[in-house]
Amino acid sequence: MTTTTPTATHRSSAPLGRVLLSELRWVLRRPRNLLALLGLAALPVLIGTVVALTGGPSPGDGPALLASVAGNGLVLPIVTLVMTQSLLLPLVTAMVAADALAGESAHGTLRGLLLAPVGRVRLVWVKATGVLVMTVLSVAVIAVVGVLTGLVIVGSDGLVTLSGTTLPLTGAIGRVALAAGWSMTQMAGIGAIALAVSALTEHPLVVLAVTVGGLIVFGVLGELPALEWLRPFLITTDLYAVADVLRDPIPTGDLITGLWRAGCYVLIGVSATVARMATRDV
Amino acid sequence: MSGTTETSGTATIDSVPGSAEFAARTHGLRKTYGRTVAVSDVDLAVPHGVVLGMLGPNGSGKTTTIRMLLGLTLPTAGTAELLGHAVPEHVDRALPRVGALVEGPGFHPFLSGRENLLRSAATEPELAGSGLRGAVTAALERVGLAAAAGRKYRAYSLGMKQRLGLASALLVPRELVVLDEPTNGLDPAGTREIRQVIADLHAAGTTVVVSSHLLSEVEATCTHAAVLHKGSLVTQGELTTLLESGGPNLVVAASDDVAGLEALRERGIPARRENGALRVELTEVDSPEVIATLVHAGVGVREARRGRADLEDIFAQLTEETS
Repeated sequence: MTTTTPTATHRSSAPLGRVLLSELRWVLRRPRNLLALLGLAALPVLIGTVVALTGGPSPGDGPALLASVAGNGLVLPIVTLVMTQSLLLPLVTAMVAADALAGESAHGTLRGLLLAPVGRVRLVWVKATGVLVMTVLSVAVIAVVGVLTGLVIVGSDGLVTLSGTTLPLTGAIGRVALAAGWSMTQMAGIGAIALAVSALTEHPLVVLAVTVGGLIVFGVLGELPALEWLRPFLITTDLYAVADVLRDPIPTGDLITGLWRAGCYVLIGVSATVARMATRDV
Repeated sequence: MSGTTETSGTATIDSVPGSAEFAARTHGLRKTYGRTVAVSDVDLAVPHGVVLGMLGPNGSGKTTTIRMLLGLTLPTAGTAELLGHAVPEHVDRALPRVGALVEGPGFHPFLSGRENLLRSAATEPELAGSGLRGAVTAALERVGLAAAAGRKYRAYSLGMKQRLGLASALLVPRELVVLDEPTNGLDPAGTREIRQVIADLHAAGTTVVVSSHLLSEVEATCTHAAVLHKGSLVTQGELTTLLESGGPNLVVAASDDVAGLEALRERGIPARRENGALRVELTEVDSPEVIATLVHAGVGVREARRGRADLEDIFAQLTEETS
């Protein structure tokens, strides 16, 4: 070698922290991911502004939850979560998962990672972390901006629950955090499945289509009375349970079921991704 | 002949560089996609320190062989060994000391050349954290991309992309460098530079495997060659031996090719017509006899010179035989 020889170490893999950091930098440098976060941040502001200006939809006209935002600002982050959970957040999650493996494969960069080498199983963990971080950020952005917008609009005198009780500010913020945490687990479940699809294809669009299409199909199947036995398996079944944090006391049944279900999705998704990546032609 | 460097019992002992007999080796390597046989029973042996040219037309199985050797694709049958480590089981132990450019460069368009390389460098086990930036700068300079390092990859020309791919293969001092069609998309100057890089690597004792469908390129840069045709390894060995295997021959410009060929064949002298001349093999006869034969048959000899078989001839011969 002609030039400076970097300090040679004899490892068969680079330090995990360095690889993770590089992965996160890659995820967060991507313009479309930043735009997605920006867009998600704008949503609570938009909804809050509209509600503040118009006084919200009159009861019976439009979603009941939306009506409760008027004069009750800390409901705003939770309302935004409910509205984005069914499509927008899964879309962002699927987009990042699509880039993670299918996108890398399409760019020929997956080869480079394996040749470095980043071990195949380790690569799945690194990629899963990248997707998870982006998912957590997406939800967190909505929660934080939602709280701030809500406080600016209504001031800080707490939260009136759907049950009629009033929670102090700290309790209200705890509820928002609970909703955000719960929402993150749901998105992590969806992200894990999207990652598994991403491991199967080299077309990022396929991942988007399968994930978002799957959710729509799940939603339809969940509505069919004849297929009621299927409902416990569908991640869409309890998605709206996140609004339960607005009741006092919180009915925990659906929330906990949703938690278990999301856990199963994560387990299945990650296992399938590892199984596929172990033998994938790259 | 398998270089068993994995001592039994003891925990993973990294093979000492050069302890295996060959830098890369395959036994009965085979890959089928459905009914298509991409690679069939390839026994490739790459000795340490050589520059091996993998030669073959498009679709002859060069890339698939390389991909199996690097653990990117699982073989249908057969085994492979990289720097003494079994592939794919222990390929991770060999890969830190292997640089590769396979199937074109792969980078992200939204990052600059330097950022792309930094990302590659972060995953290189042999680089210490403090050495990342230095290694990236050195690699960029080595392939002549230092000036364009800050530009987005999407703005790179085909040749620049290829150079960046080469830079990523050269981020770390390697024991083995595998380059799959490295001159694709390069202008003549770029091709010369790649040749220089290969020569430098060779001088530094690095083993190089370079695949190409351009025969002249292989002839110019390699010490060894392996010829693949329709998925089979037709021949391999030192380039000089391979070139001599064509045998000495005489190229004769005659007044009448057809009559000349007939006369030679009558006397059992192997010959063929080629580019308006006769190429006569001198394995059993010598030149005066050939010329005498022609003159006796009334064929005028305008010019006769010793022909050296070039790779192109040998390649044509080898691939004709097997087709």
